Amino acid sequence: MEAVEYFQVECPEKAGGEYYQKIADVVLLDHNLLRVVRKLHVFIDPRIPLFIAVGVTRKMPGIIRLRDFSDVIVLDRKVTISLGEETYLAPLLRILWEKFGKERVEQPDRFTIILRLEEDVPAADIENIPVMDPSETIYKDLIYALQVIQPEGFRVRRQYYGGGKFYLVASEDTLPEDIEDLVREKFALMGETL
Amino acid sequence: MILVPVTYKGGIYRHDEIIDLIEDLGGYIIQKHVIAQEVVLQALVPKDDIGLIQRIGKPLTGELIPSPLVGTEIAVVTPSLEIHHLPHASCDVAEYIRRNGAKTNMVGLARGVGKRIAQLNDEERDVINEHDMAVYLLGDFETCIAHKFPALRRGIDVPIVLCGGPSTEVLRGIIDPPVAGYVGNVGRFMHRTKESEEIAVLEDVVAEVTRVLDTRREELAKDPLSISPARLMDVIEDKIDAIHEVLSPTPITVQMAGLRVKLPFDTFAPVLRRTEVEDGITIGDLATVLPSRMRNYILVRIRPFSESNLVV
Repeated sequence: MEAVEYFQVECPEKAGGEYYQKIADVVLLDHNLLRVVRKLHVFIDPRIPLFIAVGVTRKMPGIIRLRDFSDVIVLDRKVTISLGEETYLAPLLRILWEKFGKERVEQPDRFTIILRLEEDVPAADIENIPVMDPSETIYKDLIYALQVIQPEGFRVRRQYYGGGKFYLVASEDTLPEDIEDLVREKFALMGETL
Repeated sequence: MILVPVTYKGGIYRHDEIIDLIEDLGGYIIQKHVIAQEVVLQALVPKDDIGLIQRIGKPLTGELIPSPLVGTEIAVVTPSLEIHHLPHASCDVAEYIRRNGAKTNMVGLARGVGKRIAQLNDEERDVINEHDMAVYLLGDFETCIAHKFPALRRGIDVPIVLCGGPSTEVLRGIIDPPVAGYVGNVGRFMHRTKESEEIAVLEDVVAEVTRVLDTRREELAKDPLSISPARLMDVIEDKIDAIHEVLSPTPITVQMAGLRVKLPFDTFAPVLRRTEVEDGITIGDLATVLPSRMRNYILVRIRPFSESNLVV
């Protein structure tokens, strides 16, 4: 856990807390998330029972646009997209189908897409189409990893992510209404505010 | 003749000679695995003839290892086998006990998770009770274990070895009434056991299981069984041809005081009861033939001498 600036497990049971420190470490490592997390504070109280994990992420990479991974050549009404990387092909095709219609999108080979635009559609903006937001999947992965860390059977959950911060609260009982106050307290322990 | 449980490991070449030898000496083959070029036999062999088997096995690169758990069936009970929490510690524990000769069955409870919500249903209870003993693997928090364990042990009448994250002393302190055995420091961890300390903990589990089963054996010895389970297995294999059609790795599972016969109960229970062991004594005279809660198998519980007044 050297890569993480702040990592603490708070638990009234010493032995249990140590186990969960190890579990959190192993799970974040397995899910390749150690580089994403900057600060993480885990609070577990088996007596209530309650599990709270709050954290701050590092700076996320920005939105990936079409021009970032391909060359776009506009020739009158015909647009040729040469892909440099196949990773984003599937989401790109889905976006193009939605925007221009399947009949106007051709893919003669793996790395080429040809668009035949309608008369009134401007070709200039095509380069700037946002294809993927990596932060979205990273947050999903992060919340999933926290669900893996949490004790088994804590099925009542509340989760939040955004603005570089995330939290997950879980219990087997109904969560108290003032749970966010507790979450804020845990953020304050790390020197952060929600 | 005292039979001791052993595992024979050797090459597949001429291994049938070893099988014949063990059977000729009056021993029983409980299970045979063929793994590529290797054969692993779990057997009960006469104590006096161990040297002879070793001598004959030596040119065939065979070795004989004492395995005190051969001929036992153990349930490894875990609150859940949920996919999100893989790998479970129970997988490693079950595998480690299996390597020591026992037949282990994993019992993942349907609603065993949580502290307040943990429960055990009647099917799970009956399945666990069909085993020689149960190894319970619970979590890391003593509060949870103390709270949920009474719900998970309700109705279980086989000996229980409790494993959990807290130390053995803590576990012993929080469980009332006490169970047969405790092993600490083996709670929930999310990785496979590789380090030597972790393997040492698995060794502790095996040692505790062995100790508990030895106590059970001593109890059984006070009122001996009407027939040894291994011998009864041999009789069934000889006289009921349908057992050879069963594709399960162990068509007959040997337990300490009974057998699980993997044939449909409705068709084969009457046949089994009528089967003669020797001199007109049938299996029905020596044992109770019951339906198992595991699929539609048959559970044979051998009666002690005090009940049947017979020993064969």
